Amino acid sequence: MTSLRTETKPPTFSAASPLKIALVEDKRDVRESWAKLINSFSDFTCMCKCASAEDALRMIPPLQPDVILMDIFLPRMSGIECTARLKNEMPRTPIVMLTASDDDELVFVALQAGADGYLLKRTKPADLRSALLDVLTGGAPMSSEIARRVVESFRQKPRERDDSISLTAREEETLLLLSKGYSNKEIADRLGLSIETVRSHLKHIYEKMHVRSRAGAVARYISGKPIENG
Amino acid sequence: MRLPARQQFLAAEQNPRAGIPKKHLLLFVLTAACIAGLFFCENVSAQPYPLTKPQKVTPQAEKVIAQLGLGSWIWTTNFEDKQTCRFWKTFSIPENDHVRQALLRITADNSYHLYLDGREIGEGSNWKSLTEYDLTFLLTPGNHVMAIEAFNDGREAGVLMGMKVTFASGDQTEVLSDDSWRIVPNNSHRWLHQTRPDPNWPAATIVGVVGQSPWWLTPVNIMTPPTLQPSLMHFWQTTWFLSSVLTVCVVALGLSLWLAAKLALRTRAQQLLDLERARIARDIHDDLGAALTQLVLQSEVAQTEYPESSPIRAQFGQFCGSARAVSHALDEVVWAVNSKRDTLRDFSSYLCKYAQTFLSNTTIRCRLDIQPDMPASVFDLSVRRGLLLAVKEALNNAAKHSEANEILLRINKEGNHVIVVVEDQGKGFDPELLTGERNGLQNMMQRLQDLGGTCQIASAAGAGCRVEFRMPLAHPAARAGFSWRRIFGAQNGETPAEEWQNLKGS
Repeated sequence: MTSLRTETKPPTFSAASPLKIALVEDKRDVRESWAKLINSFSDFTCMCKCASAEDALRMIPPLQPDVILMDIFLPRMSGIECTARLKNEMPRTPIVMLTASDDDELVFVALQAGADGYLLKRTKPADLRSALLDVLTGGAPMSSEIARRVVESFRQKPRERDDSISLTAREEETLLLLSKGYSNKEIADRLGLSIETVRSHLKHIYEKMHVRSRAGAVARYISGKPIENG
Repeated sequence: MRLPARQQFLAAEQNPRAGIPKKHLLLFVLTAACIAGLFFCENVSAQPYPLTKPQKVTPQAEKVIAQLGLGSWIWTTNFEDKQTCRFWKTFSIPENDHVRQALLRITADNSYHLYLDGREIGEGSNWKSLTEYDLTFLLTPGNHVMAIEAFNDGREAGVLMGMKVTFASGDQTEVLSDDSWRIVPNNSHRWLHQTRPDPNWPAATIVGVVGQSPWWLTPVNIMTPPTLQPSLMHFWQTTWFLSSVLTVCVVALGLSLWLAAKLALRTRAQQLLDLERARIARDIHDDLGAALTQLVLQSEVAQTEYPESSPIRAQFGQFCGSARAVSHALDEVVWAVNSKRDTLRDFSSYLCKYAQTFLSNTTIRCRLDIQPDMPASVFDLSVRRGLLLAVKEALNNAAKHSEANEILLRINKEGNHVIVVVEDQGKGFDPELLTGERNGLQNMMQRLQDLGGTCQIASAAGAGCRVEFRMPLAHPAARAGFSWRRIFGAQNGETPAEEWQNLKGS
């Protein structure tokens, strides 16, 4: 993931009006550490720490944070279900999943549920910072494996009613190049686009994927089976 | 009055009239009568009946009897009750003639079984009537053996028969019950199939003439069962064939039961192993992994509490790096152990990620060409682990020696094989001159061959290098435990136990 990260102009946040982050994590130590790390950046602030998905659904919507960091594994209601529910209430707020291990299966499900990106828990603070800024300014970086799955999912016949949602030629081209291991920068060079355009394609792809699966997805994640670990 | 058994018994001793019930007395008398009767019978039956002397036959009866075409009543020398008597005779049908009709009439007091050449022709138990068998189709040219097993229930006994054979040429021949028959001792077992008489078989005795008491003057009736047809013995009706089929069936049944039992055990063992692997993976991930993540985070936090220039901060930085590396290594172990990752799809995804991470530390670009919709075919631990190590080696070699600026990783499924290609457009090498530095790859080739795969290296100086790995995917049924090798003793890396050994060895 980090290898695919592209350098972009950071949006302007300052100590006076910092980037407001809400954090959902069930383990107290991890939650406190993340909060401290976020707060260690002068232009970031952790405005809300939730210990469970239920807390998050109650506390986060009124606060209107800029970004939500969500652990995938939460007791009772999973982070994926929580994401789907939060997206229903605040579709504009980006949600970034936190995972302990690099599990494409889970990440893909989370992206379908409405997540806008994902981070490994052992990510370096500097990478955390740039990943969050990426999510705000455009599409979050997408790994080749996820890109491959997205292409596959769009090629499958949609089961839900949103069958009008499909990728544009450029978006599909972008995904195919991503799945072949090209970075955003290389894609921009190859397609003769600016890197911002590539990232806006990505942003649209995330949105379409979400919209495409939303009809059945929320119900699926909410009523669905518990997510298995590992 | 109700007394316990013992007291009742004593009471009976003291007062017999009151004690012994009438029922017991009756039983005793009956038993005694039976014993006496049996004893008497035994004495009587031991005495042979006196043979009836031939008497004068009236002319009318003689006429009737002549038309019947019968011999004389024959038996052995004595009559006994419950007596079995066996008769045996051979006769021959000439080779150069054809049997037009052969009729056999027979009766016995009290019953008989009639055999021709070892085959039972018929039986009867009414001495008052005759039975007429049509043997026309059974009398092929050559020697024949006729046998009769007769049974006497009591008092006089005899067998009476006569067979008239008419040939196409008009000739006639007869086989009659007379003293040319042999009496076969009852202890002889193969007498029905014997073609020559034993010298100690005595001749039959004529015990009466037809039309003379104690038997009938003329038969009450003559019964004619349907014409007998030769019984063709097909090979599948033969005893040896049936018994061998039975043996095969029993062996097959036993074998399949044994296999089923073994299979059930194997499948169960495999399931348990998969569950156990998944559990271990989960435990490592949840406990160790979470603790390590926490360690990384805490040291990151600690790091921020020191100024940039502080040496302690640098030490924390190193610590974070090491902890991340351990965490990464742990992920790899979890991936290897987790039975849920035993699929081709997971393998391909993992390999891509590995290649990208590995090459991100170099200046070489990583290009991927992965078959879309990679199926989630079963890809067993030993094989995927071996292949992963081999591909790592190939990537490492390419990164170290090729001087290429791009490495292509291609993963495809072809039939029942997975094909992984690592290709670069670098300076290449002469495969004949593989030196020590590339020996790792040779080891990998050996390892892949052991797992049933192949490895081909195509390279020439200045023309890049292409390494192709081809590994067999486990047959889908193998997952369910069905594999002859698994059943009939496994080879390396095939049994759960050996998979564990491999795993522990890593």
